[in-house]
Order: sequence, then structure tokens, then C-alpha cells
Amino acid sequence: MTAPLSPLPRARQRRRSPWPAVLGVTALVGLVGAIAFSNLNKSLEYFVTPTEYQQQRADLEGRPIRIGGLVQNAQYDPQTLQLRFVVSDGGASFPVQYTGAVSDLFKDNQGVVVRGQFQGGTFHASDLVVKHSEEYRVPETQAELKDMLKTTP
Amino acid sequence: MLNLISFSSSAAGALGQLSLLGALLFCLAGLGLAVLGGVCRDARLTEAARRATWAVFALTTLGTLVLLGALLRDDFSVRYVAEHSMRASPTWIKVTGLWGALEGSILLWAWLLAGFTFILSLTLRRDALRPWALATMFVSLLFFVGVCATVASPFTPLAAVPTDGRGPNPALQNHWMMAVHPVLLYLGFVGLSVPFAYAVAALVTGRLSDHWVVVTRRWTLVAWTFLTAAIVAGGWWSYETLGWGGYWAWDPVENASFIPWLLTTAFLHSIQIQERRGLMRSWNVWLIVLAYASTVLGTFLNRSGIVQSVHAFAGGPVGPVFLGFLALLLVLGTLLAAWRAPHLRDEAELPGVLSREGAFLAGNWLFVVFAVMVLVGTLFPTFVEAAQGRRDASVGPAFYNAFAIPLGLGLLLLMGVGPLLPWRRADGQGLWRALRPLLAAGLGAAALAFALGVRHPGVLTTLALSAYNLLGLGLLTVRAARQAGGLAHTLRAQPRRYGAYLAHIGLVVVALGLAYSGTYRRDAQATLNLNRPVPLLAERLELTGLTTETRSDGRSVVARVRIDGQPYRARLNTYVQGGNTPFPAPAVRYSLTGDTYLVVTAADPGGQWASVRLIESPLVSWLWWGTLLICLGASVTLVNPVRAARPAAARLAPATD
Repeated sequence: MTAPLSPLPRARQRRRSPWPAVLGVTALVGLVGAIAFSNLNKSLEYFVTPTEYQQQRADLEGRPIRIGGLVQNAQYDPQTLQLRFVVSDGGASFPVQYTGAVSDLFKDNQGVVVRGQFQGGTFHASDLVVKHSEEYRVPETQAELKDMLKTTP
Repeated sequence: MLNLISFSSSAAGALGQLSLLGALLFCLAGLGLAVLGGVCRDARLTEAARRATWAVFALTTLGTLVLLGALLRDDFSVRYVAEHSMRASPTWIKVTGLWGALEGSILLWAWLLAGFTFILSLTLRRDALRPWALATMFVSLLFFVGVCATVASPFTPLAAVPTDGRGPNPALQNHWMMAVHPVLLYLGFVGLSVPFAYAVAALVTGRLSDHWVVVTRRWTLVAWTFLTAAIVAGGWWSYETLGWGGYWAWDPVENASFIPWLLTTAFLHSIQIQERRGLMRSWNVWLIVLAYASTVLGTFLNRSGIVQSVHAFAGGPVGPVFLGFLALLLVLGTLLAAWRAPHLRDEAELPGVLSREGAFLAGNWLFVVFAVMVLVGTLFPTFVEAAQGRRDASVGPAFYNAFAIPLGLGLLLLMGVGPLLPWRRADGQGLWRALRPLLAAGLGAAALAFALGVRHPGVLTTLALSAYNLLGLGLLTVRAARQAGGLAHTLRAQPRRYGAYLAHIGLVVVALGLAYSGTYRRDAQATLNLNRPVPLLAERLELTGLTTETRSDGRSVVARVRIDGQPYRARLNTYVQGGNTPFPAPAVRYSLTGDTYLVVTAADPGGQWASVRLIESPLVSWLWWGTLLICLGASVTLVNPVRAARPAAARLAPATD
């Protein structure tokens, strides 16, 4: 099976104080925990609907979030790759700006999820996920909207 | 509730279901026999259990073949075929349909597990571990075959047979890599069940001497190699099909395969400490239990829908079932380990700090912390939902990179020190002498890179550590070759060591690829009009043609673009079953210094313009080549050494083994 090993002495049965190891491990875990949680809260990206954003505006302005809703007034120029539209959930709506190509599936009344951040009243999107289902209907409630946005094709 | 069997509507479904139920019966019988054989110390019962594994393998093979046949014959009376296959697909897509969705992938898992159990039954020694190792394999088999035969049966029939199926998931048929990646991944996951079985057997019998570790080393290495290849293949698939020019997004699905990899890598190193010094016994048992449990955890996370992911599949009742199995494994492992604690605790000496085992232990800690952090990041959104009631939060890559980069660099540092250190203890002087040229090489490499304009601290550190690792391994090899009287001699005598060196070199190559492609990637988007050149990223792009091709299962828009005169053909594929959703197939020009990557993001139906995204990332290819080296190195370590007839004194030369 394996190479015959050179005869190293087996470890002796000697009790060493476990404290250095315990302290070391505790310090390591503490450090890791500190890094993790300070970082986690900063890099946590919430998913909100426009209505939810309106309620939590103070907390969320300027930090990276994902916002989901329906597309309205989509204006897209393929030559400059500039896209402007309004994301809405029936309750609230916000203008969105995005630079990049969109496929011809991007239409009014489509469900959409965009990632980015609010600067003032405008949402600057860094990327967008167009959701599309063949049997599409306008969702009635917040929960329904979220469910619709979650069902990936 | 569970439509276990129904003969009326589907012959293939009935046959497949019967074979799975038969396999399930043999699993139950085998488990009973193995446990009885272990308790009564009766070799005949154990032998019967061993033969039950053959029956399980035969029956699961039959079940797999039945499903494959149904896929190839377009037998839509089987629900799985009707939902995940269609007539128009090319044959190879129909074959990959076998593991393209939940039920089929669990059947594949069960079949591979039966195959591994079969191989294990042929190699098991006739010793006290045998019945219990078999029993543990039967527990795993019972779970997977049971899930296959009940809650996730691919053979449930359809009352009304459709004329055509719904077709496979388009994202999975866009690239041949998707045919390879799941199989490799399951081979890796399933391979870990064998070391786990040995660990449980060692715990049950109380034979925690080092035999089980020696036997499992090969199994673990094989599983680890498959797992490594699978993770990188997944990255490559992501790179070649998702059109974002990246290969790793810290997606929960990726993390689910990465956590077992980290724990298994740690285990590969820590079993050597036990093999050579008899230390870390309880650590090893815990590690392999956790590594095996983490493969189940990953499947649970991805199938239960509790984490949001790009490709998490909701699998109905399968998630909770996997959670139950995960809990069982952890509870079983904990109880066994607690019961055997007196046996495990008997070697209380800690490894010296300045020694090979000290370096291994430190590396082990980093691996475990790494795994825990990845797990925390993956589960954190779930905790947030539970605590704050906010749904669908996600943790961005920034969180992971904040700890993955320092931990990765720490591991690179230890990787260079480990081979230099002797077992037991090093004297500080000797170590310093050995380290000096390496530190010089590292600093020299960083200084040279700085002079050439590299300013990024992460890249500089990676470069320095790479140079120091490579020089260290080179010096060790040269010295050993001199002592042994030739490189060939020493390679033949020590395949384990040089295989490990080769894998480490591969890892250095991968690290450089990660550092460069992660730091210096550039991308830009533009719309190209036919025959009108556009400057982008210091290159000249010209769209020379835009055509549409029809395939049997959909259409492709093909954009011909010249980048600095070089022709590229990037595609946008649409699939019959995918509606109008376009799936990009980027055109990539690979080279050792960097890739040029062109994706069509949108195309004018009139054929006048196409929007493209151009991505330039340096050294991406190093990931694939480095992985090849890692897998080669791992294979070399499995070769049996050829001992030259030499005086024993020379073999015991210090500080080289």
C-alpha cells in the first residue's frame, strides 16, 4: 500500500499544558468573528420592493441593494447602451439608470430585479436580471411580487 | 402519497422502480447482516453483507440503464423524461439529461455510491473494521437509494403521455463542460463516503490505531482529485457560458462544493501527522465526519431553497430529507466520538511549533477557519431572515474576499515552510539557514514586479510567496537528487513526496492566475454597427457579419467580429424550451498571458448592429493548467515507491522526509 516509513519515534505520552493552544484558538476565533461580523453587515445586500425602500429609505440610501418590481416607461438606446426606466410595485416607483445592453425581452410590465444603489432619488444599477415568464400576469400583493421575482425560468 | 409503483402506465417506469426497490431491500438486508456480523464477530454474516453490495450495485446499475434507455428512446410515459428531455435534443444532451435534474442526479449519486461500495467490498481486508465499514456504507446507500425510490423517484409514471417532453434546462446544455462537472463532483462527494466509513468503523471497534488512516489515504486522495477537478470544471463552465467573464462568484452552490474541498484538503495533511507521529487522532475523526457531512449539507442547501442562489433548485420534500440525513451523520459521529473519547485522548502531546507537524496543524486551522467562514457567509442571509424578518438578503463577494485572500496567502506561506521542516522539531538555526534563500527569492520577485509597475499589494504578496515556494521545492528536490545519486532514483523512491510537490506547484500556478485575473481584469461594452470599427479597451473591434443559424433544438445568432484583425465568432443561443431567453456562448481566445473574451449581449433582428462586451483578463488559463498539475501531482502520490537497495543509514537522512 504505502512506502515503508522511516522509523520515527512515536510521540511520547507527555501532558503539556493545554492553555497555550486554548488561548491561541480563542484568539483566532475571536479575530475571525470580529472580521466576519463587521464585514457581514457592510456587505449584506438586502432585497426590497419600491414600497419597502420608501419605508426604509433612511437605512438603505447609498448602500448596495437589490430592488425588484415591474418595469415601466423603458427607454433604451442600443447605440449608446443607455437604459432608463421606472421600477414600480403599484405602491411606489423610482427611476432607474443603467448602462449596458439589454435584450429585446426587456419590456414594460416585465418583472425585473436590479442591483445597485440609490443616489438621491435615482437608482444607479450596476447590473440587472430580467425575469420573464411566458404566462405573465401583474402580481397583486408584495408577497406575490416577490414570489414572481424569485421564480427563475 | 408516494406512488411507489404502478404497472399500468409505464413499463420502463415500473422496471426502474422495481430495480430501485430491490436495491433498497438489499441495502436493508446488507445493513442488518453487516451489523450482526460486527456484533457477533461472525465472518459468514459479514461475507453475506459483502455480497449484498454486489446486488445493490447490479440493481442500481439496472435502474440507471433503464432511465438512460427511457431518455434515449424518448419514452415520455416516465415523468422525469417528459419533464427534462425532448425529441429534438442531440443524443449527448439526452445522455446528460440523466443527471440534469434533481431526481436523476440523486440516482447517479446512488449508483456511484453503489459502485464505490462494490470496489470497497473487493479491497476490504478481513479484519475487525470490515463489517462496520460495510455497515456505514450501507447507511449512506440506504439513504440515497431510499430517496431515489421514494420522495425523488425518477420513475414516477405519467397518466397521460405527452407527444414531446419539456426539454432540458437550456443553461445546462449550452456547454459540454456541464456533462462533465456534475459527474466529477459526485465522484468526489461519493468518494468521501469511504474514508468516513473507515473512520466510523475505527470508532466502533475502538481500533483507532493508525491502520484506518493508512488505508483511507488513497481513497481520500482519489475523491479529493475528483473534487478539485469538479470545482474547477464548474468555474470553467461559468466562465464559458454565463458571459460575465468570471469563474467564481461565491454563489451558495459553489460554496457547497468548496467547503468539503477545504475540509478534505485539511484531512489529507492531518492524516500524515497521525501516520508518522500518531498524533491528532480525534482531530482526524472529526475532520472526516465533518467533510462527509458537508457534502450532504451542500446538497441540502441547494435543494431546499433556504438560500437564494443563481442555480438553487427547489426540490420539494428532498431538502428536509437531506437535512435529516445531515443531522443523523453529525449526531452519529458526535456520539461515537464522545463514546470513544478516552481512546482518542490518549495522545495529548501537541506538535512542536517548529516542525513539519506544527506547520500541518497550523495549515489545518486555516483550512477549518476558511471552511467555517464560507459556511457563515452562505448561511448568513438565512440568519438575517430569521432574526430581522428581511427576506432574500445576500452576501456579496466583498465579504468573502476580505477573508479568502489573507487566508489563502497564509496557506501559501505555510505551504512553503512545511516541506522544509523536519518531523518532530527543527532547530531555529537550521531553519533560518534554509529559509534565507527563499525569503531572498520572494523579496527579489516582489521587487522586480514593483520595478515593472505592479503596485497591487495582494498581487505583490502572491508573487513573492510563489517565488519562495517554487525555489523551496526546487532546492529540496535538487538536494534529495544529489543524495540519492540522480533525480530518477529519488522520484521512484518517493512518489508521494514529489507528487505532493507537483500538486503544490500547481497550486502556486492557480494562485498566480487568481491574483492576476482577479486584479487586472478589464471590461467594456459597446454597440458595433456593421463594418464600422470601434475602439474599445485599446483594441479595434469591427462587426463583419451577423447571421442566424437554425439548430434542431433552437436558433443561434452568430456575430463575426474582428478584434485587431483576429476573427471571433460569438453566439447567442436560444432554445425551443427556453422561450426567447438568449444564452450567450462567448468567443474566447485563450493564451498563457491572458484571455480575450467577447460576448454578444444583444443583436439587432435586422442584422445591422450587435451589442458586445469585451473582457480582457490576464492569466486566466493558469487556473486550468495549474489544476491539471494539481491532479497530476495527486495521481503521482498514488504510485507505489520503488526502493533502491541502499544502506538504511542514507535513507534516514534527517530533514528530508
